[in-house]
Amino acid sequence: MKKTVDVSIPLGPVHPCWKEPVRLKCETAGERVLRVEVELGYMKKGIERIMRGRPWQEVMFLAERVCGICSVIHNMVFIETMEEISDIAVPPRAAYLRVIVNELDRIASHILANFSYCYTIEHETLAMYLLNTREIVLDNLERITGSRVNTAYMIPGGVRFDLLPEDAVTVLADLDKVEEEMRRHTRIFETGPLIALRSKGIGVMDREEAIRSHTVGPTARASGVSDSDLRLRHPTYQALGFEQITRTEGDNFARIMVRFQEIFQSIDLIRKCVTTLPDGPIRGGGLCRAGEGSHSGEAPRGELTYTIKTDEYGRVLDIAIRTPSIMNIEACAHAMIADAASIADVTSTFISSDPCVACNER
Amino acid sequence: MTRYLYEKDLRPMKYTILTSTKHDRTVRAIAHRLGMADAKLRMAMIRRLDMSLLENLESRWEMGQKHADGGDGVAGELGCELFTRFIPLLDTETMQSIYDETTTMIQNGLAVDDAITRGRERIRKAVLR
Amino acid sequence: MSILQDIKNAVRSRSIHVAYVDVGSCNGCDIEVLACLAPRYDIEQYGIYVHNNPREADVLLVIGSVTPQWVDKLRDIWDKIPEPKVAVAIGNCPISGCVYARRGTLTTPPVENYIPIAASVPGCPPRPTEILSAILSVAPLIFKDYEEKQP
Repeated sequence: MKKTVDVSIPLGPVHPCWKEPVRLKCETAGERVLRVEVELGYMKKGIERIMRGRPWQEVMFLAERVCGICSVIHNMVFIETMEEISDIAVPPRAAYLRVIVNELDRIASHILANFSYCYTIEHETLAMYLLNTREIVLDNLERITGSRVNTAYMIPGGVRFDLLPEDAVTVLADLDKVEEEMRRHTRIFETGPLIALRSKGIGVMDREEAIRSHTVGPTARASGVSDSDLRLRHPTYQALGFEQITRTEGDNFARIMVRFQEIFQSIDLIRKCVTTLPDGPIRGGGLCRAGEGSHSGEAPRGELTYTIKTDEYGRVLDIAIRTPSIMNIEACAHAMIADAASIADVTSTFISSDPCVACNER
Repeated sequence: MTRYLYEKDLRPMKYTILTSTKHDRTVRAIAHRLGMADAKLRMAMIRRLDMSLLENLESRWEMGQKHADGGDGVAGELGCELFTRFIPLLDTETMQSIYDETTTMIQNGLAVDDAITRGRERIRKAVLR
Repeated sequence: MSILQDIKNAVRSRSIHVAYVDVGSCNGCDIEVLACLAPRYDIEQYGIYVHNNPREADVLLVIGSVTPQWVDKLRDIWDKIPEPKVAVAIGNCPISGCVYARRGTLTTPPVENYIPIAASVPGCPPRPTEILSAILSVAPLIFKDYEEKQP
């Protein structure tokens, strides 16, 4: 009988496939992965501790720097929480502009996630195609907000800049280009036989496990968890007629395909927003007051919750941020990777859940 | 015995995770449920759970209270699924043996409350072991 | 100047391997480094290859202020890079700690305390073109005639 050597294989913190440092300690029996332990602490900046006792004007910029990839949604949820606490109304035009910027950010984030996955399974051609398409999206983000990353576009009671008519035309034209390119990339991904070999039936997470560890976002929706998209409960998205996308396979392929489908959905939403943009002011004004509140929004990776307590000067006394990656990385490490058939699938499975370590640790 | 390279003592970092507002609240709630001191539970968690699970403690606890141990009274009181599958403080075999023992005690005529108190005592010991 | 040095100069000027390490930032700079890979910026036409492996790197891009885990490990990574090597700090965080250098923080900037930094690209985050031009302008300064410059 051949003896199987049990090996403990640590992956990371610096790893060619990983964009951010995290360490997975895999215990294996032969090729089979038995158990994974996640070692964090490489990105722990203590941002919640920094935020405490600071005025909202400062915390607003700190909130964005929780995560650079989905900085717009961090900004948006923080501002919406402050608005909820202080009863500040948003003009309809500003609400629509917020959706436009948020969806552009979502497209950029989803493309980056799919890029990382393609890069990890060594389909570099498709990865580069996707990254090139992402630049067009970032151009539009820059055109509207003035910055590619960390835009600080939203403020309590409105947004900073208006969308000029000539910019609106360019945004629509660029969206057509993005949609055409994304159709091609999706077809490549969907029909590629080698991609299917590396993706289908690998890293499967069933619905029960997804609920148990409270996975959110595309990771949960790929496992068939319905009603997990918080955009369904956002008033502006409700007005735009938003519907969520779910798949039932729960494997790597499903997670990537959900993101591809959501990109098209976001493109449609932006188009609808730009064409039906109501007239009016973009800043309503208002005063941040004392109070306590909790608000959730749908980040590209899933449900993002801010729980804030403020005093009468608008200073943040206490804050707790629950980011989507906390749940997704945990579920990924303990449900998808555990009992994986091969150590070679660990990296691709981990990347398929779109882990954002900066979010996870704050 | 194989060891990992570049290992570092993770306890201070794990403790930092547990001191955040929501995690602190969750740890207190779990300690109350188990009937043990916060500090001891924190120690046990730092020893048993990995950093990702500690970060996810709050939502697992929430989901556990919503979905764990539906229907079975004794299992619900002991937290059979809650403390093995949602928050893995115990392994499944230990929990099963505690559960079996408690149900046997009830069948042998011990009052349900007393049996559950004894079961909880064993859970506390197993967590701290 | 020897012929061998000439050959080395020629090879090194067209083959720069880059590794990046995030020592605790918001990952905004990470994705701007990644954006350099895009065909629009076409980093490989300058002979730069982003391979995130310190053991075969020439240039180390350091991103972020230093978190507790990295205090000793950053030096380890730097020691593993073969000579000649150069470290470039990307973004405000490695220089000053940016928004994280406040009361209550867990980070200990600047990165200069841990490894020698040859160049810094300030910005929160800097644009991909700035990162690209920083690598291209600092690499020849260190790599040209490296062996002859050694005492």
